[in-house]
Amino acid sequence: MKIIACYKLIPEEQDITVNSDGTLNLNKTDAKISQFDLNAIEAACALKQQNSDIHIVAMSSGGEALANPKGRKDVLSRGPDELIVVSEPGLENALPHQTAAILAAAAQKSGFDLILCGDGSADLYAQQVGLLLGEALGVSAINGVSRIISLSDTQIQVERTLEDEVETLTLNLPAVVAVSTDINAPQIPSMKAILGAAKKPVQAWQSADLGLGDVSGYTTLLSVLAPQQKARARVIIEGDGEEQIAEFAEHLRKVIG
Amino acid sequence: MSKFSTVWVFSDAASRLPELMGAARQLGEDVRVIVQGNEQSAQAFRLGADAAYDLGSIPADRIIEDYADTLVQTIKNHAPNALVLLPATRRCKALAARLGARLTAGVVNDANELVLQDGHIVATHMVYGGLAFGKEQITTPYAVTTLNSGVFEVAQEDSARTGSATSLEFVAPKNPIICVSRKVKQSNSVDLGKARLVVSVGRGIGNQANISIAEALSNAMGAELGCSRPVAENEKWMDRERYVGISGIMIKPELYLALGISGQIQHMVGANGAQIIMAINKDKNAPIFQYADYGLVGDLMKIVPALTEALKR
Repeated sequence: MKIIACYKLIPEEQDITVNSDGTLNLNKTDAKISQFDLNAIEAACALKQQNSDIHIVAMSSGGEALANPKGRKDVLSRGPDELIVVSEPGLENALPHQTAAILAAAAQKSGFDLILCGDGSADLYAQQVGLLLGEALGVSAINGVSRIISLSDTQIQVERTLEDEVETLTLNLPAVVAVSTDINAPQIPSMKAILGAAKKPVQAWQSADLGLGDVSGYTTLLSVLAPQQKARARVIIEGDGEEQIAEFAEHLRKVIG
Repeated sequence: MSKFSTVWVFSDAASRLPELMGAARQLGEDVRVIVQGNEQSAQAFRLGADAAYDLGSIPADRIIEDYADTLVQTIKNHAPNALVLLPATRRCKALAARLGARLTAGVVNDANELVLQDGHIVATHMVYGGLAFGKEQITTPYAVTTLNSGVFEVAQEDSARTGSATSLEFVAPKNPIICVSRKVKQSNSVDLGKARLVVSVGRGIGNQANISIAEALSNAMGAELGCSRPVAENEKWMDRERYVGISGIMIKPELYLALGISGQIQHMVGANGAQIIMAINKDKNAPIFQYADYGLVGDLMKIVPALTEALKR
């Protein structure tokens, strides 16, 4: 059985700063695997532990950052047997419908029984790629999966956590399953896994290899801006003497009510 | 065009319908509601629906998402363009993607703002974990959005308004998903998101043992205890579910009291929703004081126990 685990490289959010005009400064950010996609990769590896016949393909579509050998080793050290990337300049700005079209073409070319995705990427958090991927491939797709109950050659049974209820669902294979963060805690790769990652096969494709024409977007991202700061009173008391503490305590008492 | 000619509304959660109707009335000339049963149909008309379409009762083994083809057929039959409004629930996000694919429509989830601009919907939604908001324009004739709660005024019910819904014939999907069972969710043990008062601990507290002084203050206040990312992830002094910030939780308490937290933007994104922010930090140049309503510059080990005593009095 072939499982594709999809992931996206995103800017490390801890390194993002906000410019004075509210735009984001991403210049000092490293590319990292989007957190929720680590859950998808981990879920694929957990299935492989139960069934050694599983072959895991990590798959990503994006810009030139995907060419970085360190990043490739990072994803492969987390367990996948093989990596397929579709990368070319500009794809780092692809919107969900475009990403889904590219991943669908790549998945069709590579073949698959099951595709695992994260529920959304930690940058745009559009929460659509997995679902749209299912649509583009003409297979069942579902989001919010918090547990994989069973997997056979023909079906997958999953638990899906909604706002106020938990569903048990059966999907016929092939299928796309988008997992939520509560499905597992992704492991940190061991040194052995990191060393082994370099030996695993990598295929790099471009959208032309997939016979894809121009996939135009359905939406246009007009701007990305940090919200205006709420005005705060900014009453700052300096010193930790009795008087100052008493003054602060008085403010605190008023707020608590 | 100041309004969409047609807006379609569907809500899997009955409680969300009044606000969706408020949004639909504001954005559309003609508001059509997909309902489940007579009761919701009557409510939709009272809330101002121009027409309602009834899915009927849904078999227990079927999921609402599998009605995508049914909805699409109805929407396409009516007009070649429309806005489809859904609540930002997990179920409706799955439905929204399916509708988007079948209507070749752009989809935006979790909209915090929705306006018409040059005849197209522009939706604002949170990106980069809350650091920023992305404004996205949907350029396709059909547009699909899932809306966060609290964005639009709720539509008021007018009991004089009535109507009858058209029954919809279920269009079976090509790949149905079978629902084996459903159960009501157990709630989490800690729910910082619902706490009225939150005392939050940063690395400035020094060590894990010192957290007890923050705990004592929090108990005296009747507050929940939260923390910053380093405390949960680097030091592992507290549980991850208590971590406030960009990849943790976003909270909107009445008071956020930050103890020894420097106040990086990635943390403040989670706390900025607080009505009042108070901060104690030994460094008077710490960014936290820029975000604070009341700040105290000094030694936590001296201040926190003194505050606890003061509150007991």
